[in-house]
Amino acid sequence: MHEVSLAQAVWRQVKAELAGRPGYRLRAIDLVVGAFSGVDPESLEFAMGLLVGESDWPDAAVRLRPEPLALVCNDCGQEFTTETLDLTCPTCGSTDADPVRGTDLRLESLELETDDAETHPA
Amino acid sequence: MPKRIRLDKAIVTANDRLAAELADTYDQAGVLVVNLMSSPGAGKTSLLEATARGLADRFRMACIDGDLATDRDAQRIQRAGMPCTQINTGGGCHLNGKQVRDALDAHRLDRLDILFIENVGNLVCPAVFDLGEHRRVVVSSTPEGDDKPIKYPVAFRMADGVVLNKMDMVDATDFSVEAFRGYVADIKPSLSIIEVSCKTGDGLVGWFQWVAEARDALSRKAAPGAE
Repeated sequence: MHEVSLAQAVWRQVKAELAGRPGYRLRAIDLVVGAFSGVDPESLEFAMGLLVGESDWPDAAVRLRPEPLALVCNDCGQEFTTETLDLTCPTCGSTDADPVRGTDLRLESLELETDDAETHPA
Repeated sequence: MPKRIRLDKAIVTANDRLAAELADTYDQAGVLVVNLMSSPGAGKTSLLEATARGLADRFRMACIDGDLATDRDAQRIQRAGMPCTQINTGGGCHLNGKQVRDALDAHRLDRLDILFIENVGNLVCPAVFDLGEHRRVVVSSTPEGDDKPIKYPVAFRMADGVVLNKMDMVDATDFSVEAFRGYVADIKPSLSIIEVSCKTGDGLVGWFQWVAEARDALSRKAAPGAE
C-alpha cells in the first residue's frame, strides 16, 4: 500500500545520488523488496515507472529483487530464511527468532553511464 | 561508459523522518505514547473509554483519535474523562506523522503520563506508518474470526501487545482462542495476548497492568538507577 509515496521517497534518494555525480546518466535502479516490508512489488514497479518516464532518463530500468524474510535464532544463533509464516528455527526448533533481513525496502544500487570516464569518477 | 554504484540504503520516507522527530518530542516530555490499531469495530474506543475510567486515579492521560469522518469517538472518550483530539483524515486510511504532530498542539505533553493514539480502523496501512510511538497495540475481537493474525501478519509482527476483545461473545462465534494464540505465536512468539471484554469489564485488569508496566519501563529508561 502507499507505493506511490514510497516510489517518491526512492526517487528523491536516486536524485540525491545523481546530484552528487554530474555528467552521469541513469541507466537502472536496483531495489530490494523484503517479503515482510509491506510493499507490493507490482504497485511499486508501476509507480516507479511513472516517475522514471517523466524524468530526464525515461529509458532507465527499474529492477526489483524480492528478498525472503531472514531471521537469527536467539537460542542457537543459526540464521535461516523462510517463505512461509513458520518462524521455527530449522536447526534447534526454537520459535524465538528476530528478523535480520526482508523487512524493508532498500535502494541496492544504481547503474550510471557517462561519456567521459576521465573527469567524473562516481 | 557504464558504472554500477552500490548503495544498499534503506528507503527513508518523509513519514519516517517525522516519526523520529515525534519520538524525540515524546521522550523530552517524558510521556508514554501507545498507538492502537485494529479493524473497524474491534473496540479501540471502548478500550480507551474503559482505560479512561480504570486508570484515571493513577495516570494523567490524553488521546488523539483518527477517523475518516465525525468526532463521535473523541466525544465518547472525553465523556469517559480523557481529553481527546479528533483528527478527520477525509479519505485517509491511516494517521501519518504530520497529522499527529499538528494534533499535539492541543496537549501539554509534559503534563501527561500517557498519550494514546487511536488509529483509523484498518489493519493494513497503519502498520507501516510509524508515529514515533513507544508501544504499538493491535486490538482484535472474537466476531472478526481467529485468523486475523495470519491475514494481517505485518500489523501483528510490528505489535508489542495484542488485546483480544469481545470475549463475552466468544461462545456465540466460531472463534477458537487456541487457534488465535497459535497464529500469533507463529508470527511473533513473544507477543502477549490480553483477553478482555470491554462490555463486561472482564480481563481489563490485565490490560491496565500492561499499560502500567509500559509506563514504568519508560520511567526507568528516563532515570536509570533511580529505582
